[in-house]
Parts: sequence; structure tokens; C-alpha cells
Amino acid sequence: MGIEALAESLGQNILTTTLGKLIGWGRGNSVWPLQFGLACCAMEMIHTATASVDIARFGSEAMRASPRQADMMIVSGRVSQKMAPILRTIYDQMPEPKWVISMGACASTGGVFNNYALLQGVDKIVPVDVYVPGCPPRPEDLLNALMILQERIKAQGITPRS
Amino acid sequence: MSDSETGTIGQGVTVQRTGEHGAFGGELLTVNFGPHHPSTHGVLRLIVDLDGEQVKRLTPVIGYLHTGIEKQAEALRWQQAVVVTDRHDYLSPPINNLAYALAVEKLLGVDVPPRADALRVIMCELTRIASHLVWLGTSGIELGASTMLMYCFRERDTILDMNEEISGFRMHTSYIRPGGVMADATPRFMDMLDKFCDKMPGNVDEYEALLTMNPIFRSRTIGIGRLPAEDAKVLGATGPMLRGSGVKWDLRKNMPYSGYENYDFEVPTSDLCDCYGRYLVRIKEMRESVRILRQALDRLPDGPINVDDRKVLPPPREELETSMEAVIHHFKLFTEGYSVPAGDAYAAVESGRGENGCYVVSDGTHKPRRVKFRAASFVNLQPLERMAMNHMVADMVAIIGTADTVLGDCDR
Amino acid sequence: MIADSLIVERGISAGDAWITVSPETAHDALAALKGEGYRLLVFLTCVDHLADSSRPKWPGRYEMVYQLRNMDSLEQLRVRAFVDGDPPHVDSVADLFPPANWDERETYDMFGVIFNGHPDLTRILMPDDWVGHPLRRDYPVGGETVEFSEEHESWQTAPEKA
Repeated sequence: MGIEALAESLGQNILTTTLGKLIGWGRGNSVWPLQFGLACCAMEMIHTATASVDIARFGSEAMRASPRQADMMIVSGRVSQKMAPILRTIYDQMPEPKWVISMGACASTGGVFNNYALLQGVDKIVPVDVYVPGCPPRPEDLLNALMILQERIKAQGITPRS
Repeated sequence: MSDSETGTIGQGVTVQRTGEHGAFGGELLTVNFGPHHPSTHGVLRLIVDLDGEQVKRLTPVIGYLHTGIEKQAEALRWQQAVVVTDRHDYLSPPINNLAYALAVEKLLGVDVPPRADALRVIMCELTRIASHLVWLGTSGIELGASTMLMYCFRERDTILDMNEEISGFRMHTSYIRPGGVMADATPRFMDMLDKFCDKMPGNVDEYEALLTMNPIFRSRTIGIGRLPAEDAKVLGATGPMLRGSGVKWDLRKNMPYSGYENYDFEVPTSDLCDCYGRYLVRIKEMRESVRILRQALDRLPDGPINVDDRKVLPPPREELETSMEAVIHHFKLFTEGYSVPAGDAYAAVESGRGENGCYVVSDGTHKPRRVKFRAASFVNLQPLERMAMNHMVADMVAIIGTADTVLGDCDR
Repeated sequence: MIADSLIVERGISAGDAWITVSPETAHDALAALKGEGYRLLVFLTCVDHLADSSRPKWPGRYEMVYQLRNMDSLEQLRVRAFVDGDPPHVDSVADLFPPANWDERETYDMFGVIFNGHPDLTRILMPDDWVGHPLRRDYPVGGETVEFSEEHESWQTAPEKA
């Protein structure tokens, strides 16, 4: 095979891209969530994983029980003052890069429970990437949040998180 | 500490606790289990002393989902507090609403019309099924039958769609409130309910086909987590925990409320007293709930869905344009709320987990003095040590699973 | 019914029968009632009557409430006992009714009532190092201030006249 023929056949089979885009594409389409159910929103999170909504279409069906294997923490429900240090510990145990979705009104702001027992927003202890409104949000809302997060991950590429 | 001591939980319920040394001469190993653990149904934390693989001591640590719901209810008005009742046992919101509504109605001295009662029964039974489905699905996953989750949540989705149709919200419906219900059932809801009642028994057959004779499931549940009837009674267990120990006790039958005495249904029990018995009870309860739903649907009376009391519920929209009095009532209700006569009342209803009660104290103002929820999970967690003693660690998962505790309910 | 010497007052509230006993004899009264078939303690709790104007004079600030049920005759009875003091003291009934164990821990946690003779009187819902007893009426609801809300000030502070 001559060199021209080789170049021609390879040219049809090779795509060029930047490393950042490739990594972003890979990361964005395989965000593994941490299996971390707190309260009511956890039920809707399970609904998101089941057949009718099927989070697997977006590559996030692999709910990991161990924070060491997870990329994304879905804070699904209210975080009490007693739970807050544990949540932070789990977050710290997740390897970089990691993302947080704050699911529902309670996790985002405290919701209807504006009182002594609850952390008024999980963003006081961990950085949150996407907030999902609702009490609890519909499964579709969570999917939407995941898609927003995926866009962001893809755009981020290899640049480290600021 | 001696090598072996007999600890008492009280009242003749004893657990054989061992001291610092295990039966094989090794040391006891203290293991922390949770609060973030995939099989503890939320944020339950257990501190377990193990002798090899055997559980020798078990201490539940709760409070990781303490939401201050009782305090919050004191800061809200009577009709606003309905919203927080939804969220304490988040698997059965209408049943919590009902307990609160019944207690407040007792104090107000009002009786809701028959149609409201029937709609309340429909919502409660739908919720009971939905709650059992979550239990069945998650327990299935924990005991190695992952398919269960997909099957169960398929039907749960149908129920949540019905919730949405009747109240506009999937989970926390706040549908049942003091004085009646939020809205009337739509024809589409009736249609959906009719279809659901036709299909559900077949779906329960499907679940049973997957689990009831499944050798893995049977060997992981039969004989595991035994709770004899006498112990269950003494330890205050209610709901399927008590019925799974062979005690025929169901508030819907024994102390009927909301017109449950008019429905023909069985109270399933099982004499096995173990995890499998509790599984059988819940499966049968789903079938009985469908029976109640069918009867309620066929006999749904006509008429108003709210009490005709302008002091408790706002007047209909049409009246606002013609009646000054209606406008005043409307204004008073939405700025100040209604006041409840001083006194206290306790109302108990049967939720998917057991006796779900609400104790309200009024000081005559427009806010509750005290709202106390008698949470079934809180009491049903206490026999855990009795059930898990001398079982393997893996069996503990089955025991926690079939105890079906909701930590939101437990911690409030 | 138990001996009249134990009963201070009796009545019916919204259809529920109740008796009041003195806190010193509460344990004896409950033991006697248990002997008469009221074997299930449905719940045990406390009500704080601080600045409660629905009665001219309350016998004590804290009202202990024991709801009993006879599971055979389906009778229910509410037993009340008024206690005062800081912290208030009352005898534990965990030896009579095992479910009271956690209920008493919760009441201790939330109201600061000391139960004499309780096997393990520690906080159950709040973290161990928590200061204060949240369900007391002079404990603020807490949370964050909500702008433009009618209860703007009262969120953070204790109720009036407390």
C-alpha cells in the first residue's frame, strides 16, 4: 500500500479533537451518582432511576454506594444539623472532579422548614453546581438538572475546577 | 464485665448479651453501620458489636433526619401545619394529613361529609399501596432481587400520577385537611382508579411470582428476625410488625375512623413471626387495599367534600362576589386563620407502618400549642435489637428492611 | 379504675377521657393502670404551658402526657401530670412500658425533663453537644429571617411573654 493510499484510508477513519473535548465528552456521559438518599426527594431520585424515566439514557444509572467511586452527589432531601458533618465527610471522600446537585427545596434553601434543626441550604457546607426546585422535584426535573450539569462538564474539559 | 449477661429490654423481653469476649474466645468487634449506608433505608445508624459475623449487641442511633417538624407546626397556623405533616412520614403523606385532620376536627367538633370520608379512604389506601411498593422494591434489591424495584416503581408511578391528577402534586399532596379534602375527584381520576383496581391484583401476582417461592429470598427471610407475638405487644410494635407476629390488630378494624367500618376487608396476619411473615402480611395488605379501593369507588357518595363551616374553610369563589360576609370570612381565614377551642385531642390512623397518631394541644389561639406525632417507625425500631440478636450481619439487612422504618417518620 | 386517692382531676377532652395525677404518684398510677389492662403506652410526651392564657392558672409549666390503651376493651385513657422546676423531674416509666424508653429520651432531648431511674437518659434526636431543649416555648424556632414575612421578627425570637 502506498503512503497516499494509507493517508486516504486513514483520513476517513480519524477524527481530530482536543483532549479537553474528549475528556469532557467522556466525563459528561458517565456521571456516576452517589447513592445518597436523605428524605422525600430520595424517592423521586429512585423514580428517576427506574424504567419510566430511566436515567440510564444519560449514562448515570450506576449509583455507587461508596463515595470513592462516585462523581456526583445528589443531595436528595433535607440536611439536618446532625447530618451536616457526615455529608461533608462523604463529600470530601469523593475523588476529584466531583459535582453536587442540590435536589429539592429543603437541600437548596431549607424549604418549608425554616427552623433550628435544618441546615438552611446545603451550599453552606459543600459547593453546589445545580439547584433543582420543587418539593420534591419531579424525576424529569432531576434529569434536566443532570443535562445542565453534563453541558457544564463538557464545557469544562480538562481545566481544573476553580 | 462478665463474659455473658442477660440484658433486659423490660417486661420479660430479654436479650442474651455477651461481654467483651465472643463464643470462640475472640474479641467483640464494634462496627459502625451508617448513617450513609445503602441498606439502612435512609439515614439510620447502627452501632453493632460483632462476634465473628454474629450480632451480639445493637444500638440504633437516630436523629440524622431530625427536621423540627413539631416545632415548625407550632410556628404555623392550624391550616398551614397540614403542609409539614406531609413531610414527616414521606412515604404516606395523606395518612399523616388524615391523622392531623382528625385530631383538629375532634377539637373543632366538626364531622366531614360522607363523600370527603370516601375520598380520604381512597387516598389513604392508594398511599398504603404506594408505601408497601417502596418497601417491596427496596427490600427486593437488598435481598438480591433487583428486578423488584423496576416492577414496584412501575405501579408506584401510576399511583403518583393519580395523586397528581387529584391534587396537582405527586408526593406531598396535602390533600386531606381539617374540614374535608382539597378538591373533588375528577372524572379522569375515577377512570385511572378504575383501571388501577383492575390491574393491580395481577401486578401483585407478578411480585409474588418473583419472590414468594424464590429460594434465595426464602432462605434469607424465613426464620430470620423472629419477634414472638408477646414480645411484639410488649415492645409496642404496631402495623405489619405486629400482624406479622400473628396479632390481629389493625386500627382500621379495631378502632375505625373515616368510615372504615363500612368496608369489607380482611386483616391479614401471619404466625411465622419472622421477616417472611411480615413480607406475606404486606403483600396481602396490598390486595386488601385494592378491595377497599374497589368498594369505595363503586359506592362513592355524592355531595359536598367539605364541611359547611365558613369559620374553618373559605367560602366558594362565587359567593365572594355577592356576599360581604363571605369576603370577611375569606379575609379572616387567610390573614389570621381559624382558632381552635382550647383542649387536646389524639387521633390515630393505620399507616403502612403502624399506628400513626397525632396529638394536638390548642390554647385557643390560631396556632397550635403543641403538635406531637406518634410515629410508628420510632416505636418499631426499638425491637430491632431483639430481632437481630445472634443473627448474621447480612441478615440484619433483611431485618431492617422488613421493619420498614422511614427515618423521616422516626426523627420528625 | 384506679384508686381515687391517686387521681387529682378527671375529665373528657374532645371525646378522650383523661385523668390528672400528681407527678410523685405518676409511676404508681401508671403501674396500677397497667394492672387493669392498659398495657400499651401509645405515646408519652410533654407540653410546655409557658405563657398559656387558656387557663387562669396552670398547676405546673410542664404537662407530662401518657396516652394508654387497653388493646382488649379498646378503651383509651390519657394520664397527665404537671411538673415544675428547672429542670423538671419525674419518675421514669421505662420499667413498666418498654417503648417509653425512647419516648422519654426524646422528651428529655426536646423539653429537658429529667426522668429519674431511666436506664440511659441521653439525647436521641439532637447531636450530643446541642445546647438547649428545642421544643420549650422559650427556645426560638430558629432558621433564617424571611424578609417581608409577617412573622419576620418572631422567627428568630422566643414568643411574647415567654
